[in-house]
Amino acid sequence: MASPSLRGNLIALGLLGLAVIAAFALGRFPVSPGDILRSIWSWLTGTPSGLSQQIETVIWNIRGPRVLAAILCGAALAVAGAAFQGLFRNPLVSPDILGASSGAALGAVIGIYFSLGLLAIQLAAFAGGLVAVAAVYAVGSTIRRGDPVLVLVLTGVVVGSLLGAGIGLIKYWADPYNQLPAITFWLLGSLAGTARPDLVPLLGPVLIGTGVLLALRWRMNVMSLPEEEARALGLATGPLRIAIVAAATLVTAASVAAAGIIGWVGLVVPHLARFLVGPDFGRLLPTAAILGGGYLLAIDTLARTAAPVETPLGILTAVVGTPFFIWLLASARGGWS
Amino acid sequence: MLRPDRRALLAGLGAVLAAPRLARAATVRDGAGREVPIPGKVERIFPAGPPAAIQIYTLAPDLLLGWPRANRPEEREFLLPGVGDRPEIGRITGRGNSANLEAVLQLKPDLIIDSGSTGRTYVELAERVQSQTGIPYALLDGRFAQIPASYRILGQLTGRSERAETLARWCEETMATISGRIAAIPTEQRPSVYYARGPRGLETGLGGSINVETLSFLGARNVAAEQPGSGLAQVSLEQVLSWNPDVIVTIDLAFAESVRSDPNWAGVRAVREGRVHLSPKLPFGWVDFPPSVNRMIGLWWLAKLLYPAQFPEEIRPLARNFHILFYQVTPSEAQLDRVLAGRG
Amino acid sequence: MSLSASALAYGYPAREIGRDIELALQAGEVMALLGPNGHGKTTLLKTMLGLLPARGGGLSLNGQALETLGAGARARALGYVPQAHAGTFAFSVAEMVLMGRTAHAGLFAAPSAHDRTVARAMLERLGIAALAERPYTEISGGERQLALVARALAQEPRYIILDEPTASLDFGNQGKVMAQIRRLAAEGLGVLFTTHDPNQALRYADRVMLLRDGRALASGPAAALLTQDNLVALYGSAVEIVRDADGRLAFLPG
Repeated sequence: MASPSLRGNLIALGLLGLAVIAAFALGRFPVSPGDILRSIWSWLTGTPSGLSQQIETVIWNIRGPRVLAAILCGAALAVAGAAFQGLFRNPLVSPDILGASSGAALGAVIGIYFSLGLLAIQLAAFAGGLVAVAAVYAVGSTIRRGDPVLVLVLTGVVVGSLLGAGIGLIKYWADPYNQLPAITFWLLGSLAGTARPDLVPLLGPVLIGTGVLLALRWRMNVMSLPEEEARALGLATGPLRIAIVAAATLVTAASVAAAGIIGWVGLVVPHLARFLVGPDFGRLLPTAAILGGGYLLAIDTLARTAAPVETPLGILTAVVGTPFFIWLLASARGGWS
Repeated sequence: MLRPDRRALLAGLGAVLAAPRLARAATVRDGAGREVPIPGKVERIFPAGPPAAIQIYTLAPDLLLGWPRANRPEEREFLLPGVGDRPEIGRITGRGNSANLEAVLQLKPDLIIDSGSTGRTYVELAERVQSQTGIPYALLDGRFAQIPASYRILGQLTGRSERAETLARWCEETMATISGRIAAIPTEQRPSVYYARGPRGLETGLGGSINVETLSFLGARNVAAEQPGSGLAQVSLEQVLSWNPDVIVTIDLAFAESVRSDPNWAGVRAVREGRVHLSPKLPFGWVDFPPSVNRMIGLWWLAKLLYPAQFPEEIRPLARNFHILFYQVTPSEAQLDRVLAGRG
Repeated sequence: MSLSASALAYGYPAREIGRDIELALQAGEVMALLGPNGHGKTTLLKTMLGLLPARGGGLSLNGQALETLGAGARARALGYVPQAHAGTFAFSVAEMVLMGRTAHAGLFAAPSAHDRTVARAMLERLGIAALAERPYTEISGGERQLALVARALAQEPRYIILDEPTASLDFGNQGKVMAQIRRLAAEGLGVLFTTHDPNQALRYADRVMLLRDGRALASGPAAALLTQDNLVALYGSAVEIVRDADGRLAFLPG
């Protein structure tokens, strides 16, 4: 049982490593691999690298933060997606099922509409995501009848569509020359312009939330069983559910606040990870984190190098993810293994 | 838009109302090549979008019914009192239709003017509104080089041909003078320009986008033109560093202020040489939007930025004259300061 | 040492299903809850497991009131075997059985080596060790039911409670699973199962409770209580008895 999982993780780590190397090596500003090595060496040893200020800027202030942000967001979304798939006992679930993405999007769009500062927009997005899920949870728990998980899902769908209507309304009101393009770019997802200060509001929530989810991963196997079985096996399902939802929402909201709406990572990467190491959440979550980080990093590198202008991340993840997913569906042996 | 059952009613109503007007033979060829009937009397004009509103204001402010978007107090300062504060009446075309046709009818316009794209969609929209309401609907070509021709068409439609001719001539002379001096400048001496939008300055206009039309007119090399397209796009800072533009033109105050001290941008030639320029935007933008005659003064401003040697004229008297002639309000020195500083 | 109910009233928040239930399950004995479908057997079972709160009366486990025990303590004493179902994720049988060790592990702990040893032992005890690495979703209904029994056993409980253990099984597998149940009692566990088939109750249970409309019509030794008259009263329809040369009974619907 240990060996296939080790092999799977090594593959995942290998892919992540390749993605990191490619991300630093590729870009619109010409930087040779030698320059990168010299720069890293100089950073490690404290000696000057002899490279121009511009190259140093590109490596450490432009590509560096962006690579880190992509890995964090990708890992966060993949782990949250896997956790929700277990919690809602459905392999077709993504992290926005409870409205975290829609809530964060509405927060950001309102921020753009009122021409708030960049940091304020990010905070508004973060808050929006948290508030949306809290509202879904509060409304869902007043409904006592029926399977608590199903009630949550339905409430999430309904609230999510309401939030979507709110976003549509703001787009309608927005000034078409100035605010509307900004809103559109934001909604399509992008890590362009990621700078060091942006990492601060991202790092904390992602590390905390991912940490909680990883710590609870062994219990997620049991949470994926029908409610009564899970309780009969000794789990306090109510509090555990709140903890998992809270942690997953924290990382989703932080990721959306930093990078806009990026679909597919939370849905497809857990399946890729399952393909490598099997459905046991104890092994699945760490692998999903590694794969998610690598996947989003690879996509982001493509987004910023394919053309002089940026391709939105949300579009690329779908364009790359869809054929891959179809291939996966067709070749899988059956069962979500 | 109106539902089919109402459309029939209004078409009938429109035909009855419009009959006396449409019976006249006199027409004008509008910017899309359509023959638009000249109304018997023109006292009320409905602008279908912001560019049209501005052009009508400069030619015949008393005829303007209102503005697609209400002007802000800082903008109204520079416009005729009693006209600048006319009410918000929505827009019929462009992104974000918000005018209800019934509300338009209630205002009883004699003429509807739209300035912008003359593509098929807008031609059909014009035809539809004209036949639904019976009100003559003229489309003007919103491209920068077509401004003089648009003035002349507008002059014929409103019976203000004299003033239209004055304004058209001013524009033609300006464009001829400027392009004449630029023609002599060899390509290598023409600067590369990066047009920066957004608070981080990482949004830009592609080659064919209307936002950078005047830049193209001036023969500047838009660094983003290598990417085909006519809209806006996002870029990474890395790409800007790679392009290393000679000049940066921006419309965002926050960006203009932060870029001079941002170490990440320090390597860009434009920043090093202090050639980062914030576009004035009062009462309407000099470079970007709305894409109408307001950019004409921006042409001088940009020409001076790009080719300082060839354009020694002071911008201040040019701006003052423009305001007096087109906006019909004489700005005070303090107001001119504010305009030229690029504050919104 | 028993799992007992006294004057127990049970049901849902909005609706009472049954009352006045007196029941005591001892270690080493097999008890059957027999009755027509829809008359409260499963609801009573879930209440005995602590999955539904009692509406009245008392439930106690080895003398201690059941509601004072936490979920973990309950899981270490009571093993629940639901009807075998398909399952969403393709966990292996071994992983499924390992989940039975949840109550013995901390909240954040990975399964320990001891946990894996116990799970393995339970698989072997039920004779399905060969299925350990097979996906749970790809084995037969009978094998799934056995896997769920193994999972409940991995909890190392005192009592094991099964809901219609042969409901979705074919004829051949029914006997296999029920034989396991008798073995478990012989090994010292208290076993409670629900069934609607009087033959199953007669063959495999020591004691039986006849449940109709949520009330116990009768409760006592299986052989004594499973008579034609009692069954007619229980099911409200005709019942035929077949007796063979050795005196063994079977019941047929009339």
